[in-house]
Amino acid sequence: MSAGDAIVRQVVTFGRCLREGGLEVGPGRLGDALTGLSHVDVARPDDVYWTLRATLVTRAEEVEPFDRAFRAWFLRRPSRADGRDAVPPPLRRVLEQHTRADGGSPEEEGDPTEIGWSAHEVLRQKDFAAMTPEDLARLRVLLDDVAARRPLRRSRRLRPHHRGRILDLRRIARLSLATGGDPLERAFRRRSETPRKLVVLCDISGSMEKYSRALLLFLHAAVGSGRRVEVFAFGTRLTHLTADLATRDPEKALAAAADRVVDWAAGTRIGDALKAYNDVWGRRALTRGAVVVVVSDGWDRGDPALVGREMARLARAAYAVVWVNPLKGHPAYQPLAGGMQAALPHVDRFVPGHNLASLEELADVLAGIERRHAA
Amino acid sequence: MDAARRYAPRVGFATIDGLETALHDAGYLPDRGLATALFLSLTLEKPVLLEGEAGVGKTEAAKALASALGARLIRLQCYEGLDVQHAVYEWNYLRQLLRIRAAQEGTISEEELFGPEFLIRRPLLEAVESDEPVVLLIDEIDRADDEFEAFLLEVLSDFQITIPEVGTITAERRPAVVLTSNRTRELHDALKRRCLYHWIGHPSLEREVEIVTLRVPGIPERLARQTAAFVRGLRGLDLAKPPGVAETIDWAHALAALGREELDAAVVEDTLGSVLKYHEDLELVRDSALAALVEQARAVQAT
Repeated sequence: MSAGDAIVRQVVTFGRCLREGGLEVGPGRLGDALTGLSHVDVARPDDVYWTLRATLVTRAEEVEPFDRAFRAWFLRRPSRADGRDAVPPPLRRVLEQHTRADGGSPEEEGDPTEIGWSAHEVLRQKDFAAMTPEDLARLRVLLDDVAARRPLRRSRRLRPHHRGRILDLRRIARLSLATGGDPLERAFRRRSETPRKLVVLCDISGSMEKYSRALLLFLHAAVGSGRRVEVFAFGTRLTHLTADLATRDPEKALAAAADRVVDWAAGTRIGDALKAYNDVWGRRALTRGAVVVVVSDGWDRGDPALVGREMARLARAAYAVVWVNPLKGHPAYQPLAGGMQAALPHVDRFVPGHNLASLEELADVLAGIERRHAA
Repeated sequence: MDAARRYAPRVGFATIDGLETALHDAGYLPDRGLATALFLSLTLEKPVLLEGEAGVGKTEAAKALASALGARLIRLQCYEGLDVQHAVYEWNYLRQLLRIRAAQEGTISEEELFGPEFLIRRPLLEAVESDEPVVLLIDEIDRADDEFEAFLLEVLSDFQITIPEVGTITAERRPAVVLTSNRTRELHDALKRRCLYHWIGHPSLEREVEIVTLRVPGIPERLARQTAAFVRGLRGLDLAKPPGVAETIDWAHALAALGREELDAAVVEDTLGSVLKYHEDLELVRDSALAALVEQARAVQAT
């Protein structure tokens, strides 16, 4: 067996290790890795490492699993057993429990002759916390429409428009050919409107548990509705959920999301979560020009002062900030929770989010929202 | 592959060391990982995607690569709403209209009117058409729209651009392509599949001292070391925007211009604005950490 064959076998087996670690390593990438190795000095471990990493890794999150696999395979050191991988997905369990627990709510035993609009109306007004699995299935269909509404921003892109005010020179030049260079017919363009970025930070802590499933369905529909929606879940830590929610099937999407959220239904540290968001994503300028929606009941085990500080940071960069609080749907609700009080001065719109009707209201708010501090 | 043979061989380097030296001569000190990624990008003729915090030198890397290769740098800065007219080509309507006028009674043909002399070349077309070696920098690709990314994917796969009125233009010589992203969103998998990947982190202390010494000629060695150590200390704090290498260099320039030999609390206080760009960060450091950090930075000198 030649040295070349040995390298090919090593790399192919390493590729398999990486796939087990969750990286997408196709034959094309392995080919690049092998071609790359033929151009560098394989006696230098660091060159081998960097060559394989540049060709087989496609995103920052893959660096850590890659390093673990590299240690295990090439350096023959056991990979540290990472406890997180072994945690079973708790979401399904939690969700199944709570959607079955309090199935019998008063509205449900409505008049059996009730049909059409009124059934829809009952569902619209029904508190998410009281919904049965069947309700949720029907809700899912209705949510698609609601979630598709999005605030618009002026794009720099110009599209032909008969009432535009900017001359469409390309078309005018063409039309002028027929009239010997005299631009008799004028064509116009104007700036088109495109959906504004939407960033959603959704609290999934224990106190929000009753609302989480319906809200995640809403977010799934929002992600599926088009461009530039980024969703994050937080409890004690922040998790980026957009990729998981991008699956077509809502059940699969929720399961995938649950696999990644470590602290499902644990406590909340709103301030820390906001800080984590601002530090990582805000710094990458995701917030700039975006409408940011925070979904939380405001119950917080952390420091309210931190919530205030981080909300201020968020609000400075965002186009507008909307806070959705399911508790606000109850007539007697007062924003007494410390975290909520600290956050409110930095919030442009404060809306409930406990039933479908309130989400429709949220959709209206989002579609018509104006820039914060607008004169 | 037959298609590959059409392209003239690109100027490249035989070894990673060779490229490293050339980048060094261009005033850029890459770590081994970045040098390897750039080397492979040239050898495998694949675009390389560079990600990392703001200020770690993603754009600089592309500029240095161009100068190391003796190639022309063509830069496409991406933004929301970037479209074909700004990225690829646009017709020069004014000249077209004037020509039609000059030709009077309709004696001008459509072909003539949409000929090369009326074409305004934007970065992508320029890179594809160029006869000389080119490094194409597609900066902050994450800020462009999805549609543009899809379009870019097409261009990057066969380096062809089709203009309806002219036909298809194919690159004689594939440009070296560097993409950068600040990760405000995930890029399409298809685009990533086409690229090599490298994450640029903050440099080690030793490396940063070397960078400062290289970029600020004549800076006292002790000052370079203390500056790098102080900035490194800042990165360990809980800041809204930790300073990048670019800030270290700026600051070192400022300190050297003031004729300093080393850091002390007073001069740091006066010049901190060139390192920290956020009011809260400035306040945080001035109020609590400044003295300790200066102490620390000066201690590094002793070891």
